[in-house]
Amino acid sequence: MPVRRIISRRCMVRVTGSNSMKLLTKNTIWFLLIMLPLLAAGGIYLYQEFDKELKKEMDEELVNDKIQWEIYFESIPDNSPIFGITTPEFSIRAANGPANAQPVLQTIMQYQEVEHKKVPYRQLEQVISIRDKFYLLTIRKSLIEKDDLIKNIALVMALAFIGLLLFTILVNRLISRSIWQPFYQSLDKMEKLQLEQMHDLSFPDTTVTEFNRLNEVLLNATSRIYHDFVIMKELTEDAAHEMQTPLAIAQNRLELLLQDEALQPAQLQSIAQTHEALQRLSHLNHSLLFMAKIGNKQFVPAGKISIRAVLEKHLRLFEELIRDKELLVSTDISNDLLLLLHPLLADTLISNLLGNAIKYNYPKGQITIQLNEQLFSICNTSEYPPIPATQLFQRFKKNASNLANSNGLGLAIVKKIADTNNLKIYYLHKDHEHHFILRQHRPHH
Amino acid sequence: MNILIIEDEQALQESITQYLGKQGYVCEVAANFREGIQKINDADYECIIADIGLPYGSGLDIVKELKQIRSDAGIIIISAKDSLEDKLNGLGLGADDYLTKPFHLSELSARVNALLRRKHFGGNTSIIFQDIQVIPASKTVLVHQKPVELTAKEYQLLVYFIANQHRVITKSALAAHLWGDEYDMAGSYDFIYSHIKNLRRKLMDAGAPDYIKTVYGTGYRFE
Repeated sequence: MPVRRIISRRCMVRVTGSNSMKLLTKNTIWFLLIMLPLLAAGGIYLYQEFDKELKKEMDEELVNDKIQWEIYFESIPDNSPIFGITTPEFSIRAANGPANAQPVLQTIMQYQEVEHKKVPYRQLEQVISIRDKFYLLTIRKSLIEKDDLIKNIALVMALAFIGLLLFTILVNRLISRSIWQPFYQSLDKMEKLQLEQMHDLSFPDTTVTEFNRLNEVLLNATSRIYHDFVIMKELTEDAAHEMQTPLAIAQNRLELLLQDEALQPAQLQSIAQTHEALQRLSHLNHSLLFMAKIGNKQFVPAGKISIRAVLEKHLRLFEELIRDKELLVSTDISNDLLLLLHPLLADTLISNLLGNAIKYNYPKGQITIQLNEQLFSICNTSEYPPIPATQLFQRFKKNASNLANSNGLGLAIVKKIADTNNLKIYYLHKDHEHHFILRQHRPHH
Repeated sequence: MNILIIEDEQALQESITQYLGKQGYVCEVAANFREGIQKINDADYECIIADIGLPYGSGLDIVKELKQIRSDAGIIIISAKDSLEDKLNGLGLGADDYLTKPFHLSELSARVNALLRRKHFGGNTSIIFQDIQVIPASKTVLVHQKPVELTAKEYQLLVYFIANQHRVITKSALAAHLWGDEYDMAGSYDFIYSHIKNLRRKLMDAGAPDYIKTVYGTGYRFE
């Protein structure tokens, strides 16, 4: 049903209008939000561990050196010039006791000639005693190479981490996409689904239990809707058919009653009014039935219809009405519009649009008709206000309630014909003129 | 003129009989398919009015039966369904006319009238009402033997009036007759008034009395 369709469209627009994003995007964002801090923390922890390990290694080397030196110092005489050497990396000089039990290990900054700046050194300092004499021994090792090493390792590590991250995201996306594939297929199907096609809806089996469940639920829901729709449709049609006979009886009885010569004028008039009302009822019934038939696609087009021929036929048919109202009709026919339509629907379409343009016009008003291979447009002057978009093409929404002979279905029928025959009908109101434009529908996607 | 009405709705059957009876036709009725078949085999009718939806059979089968016995009766099919398929089916089988329920009795009467004229006089007869003579073959109208120029709609009106003479005809029946289904579009019956005014003036100018009587608030009567 058109009404239901409009409502569902509206809901969809609202949903997509809010801050919604694609499932895959959302998935990726969450993954990044969790993985980035985790990887960063991991990286920092690894860096610190590595740094600590390297220092420990170096300290062991320094202590080892010191032991070697002590063994060497024992073997040389006290007056050896060795006990006075001072270099950036190694120095020994006499000092006051007592001797340190443990060496003092620390990182210091020291000027280096080669680099022309202060660079970090790891330093071992210990007061040692050799043959009861005390010396302060200082051994240093540059940390600069080790730092470079750590930097390189960190870089490699970071690159590996980023690569891993990207790869994971990509794989995640690919897997998600293939897993969600049946879901998107179902979604697509539901989106394009029309009420009339609900009975032959089917979903392929998927390997995901939840998707199978979803498809089953959708299938159940749509078949229930379709079933209700068919029942409603049949009820409408049957009711409409069944109404025709009692209407005929009542109408004909009244027509006979009118022939009674004994009746007073007042009685005649009320019989005539009742007759008239029944007439309207039967027209209404007829129109509803007609709409139901259009909806049921009972009018299958046999070929292309020349709208020009239909238009010319109806201009002839409405000739007197146009003349009586002294309307000025101007037509601009540059080319014929050929539409795939059932002839009866083509007649109804043009007849309703032209009829409206006459009916809602004022005496000495204008009707402008344009026809080319693209579109049919009809525009009429009118005292009636513009039709609100919400009421346009809706059943029984009359823009002019004082028109007793209108059943408010004319435009609804036009819309129904357009909807079921791949046509588009547009309405606009400009400079007190009502425009209706009919063109072939081109799908957007 | 014998007419057989095959219709299962008694009220409808009575209305048709009564109206056509007053127009000078002799009407027989049948309430179902079997009775209808029996009657068309028992007697000759000039015209048969058959409903499609009948007990024990379809009005379309009545048409078939009539064609089989080579009846030359005019056939008018009545249906509650306004289905193009039914209509084409009926006409294809040999029915002469098709009416959808609900219909105006005056319309039925005009159809019967036209059908009988076509069937039995080959359309070569003229319709005479007092001093008016209508020649359907050439669609000309003579008043006191002098031709009167009428528009197509005025001519249709006059023929309709004569077929329903002495009866009150509603404006809606006239509108439906002149414009068919399209008259729903017209918005009012004002336009009928101008056609009638012109027809009345032309007939009176030609020397005929004023036959078209206005029945206040209801319609017209031709007498």
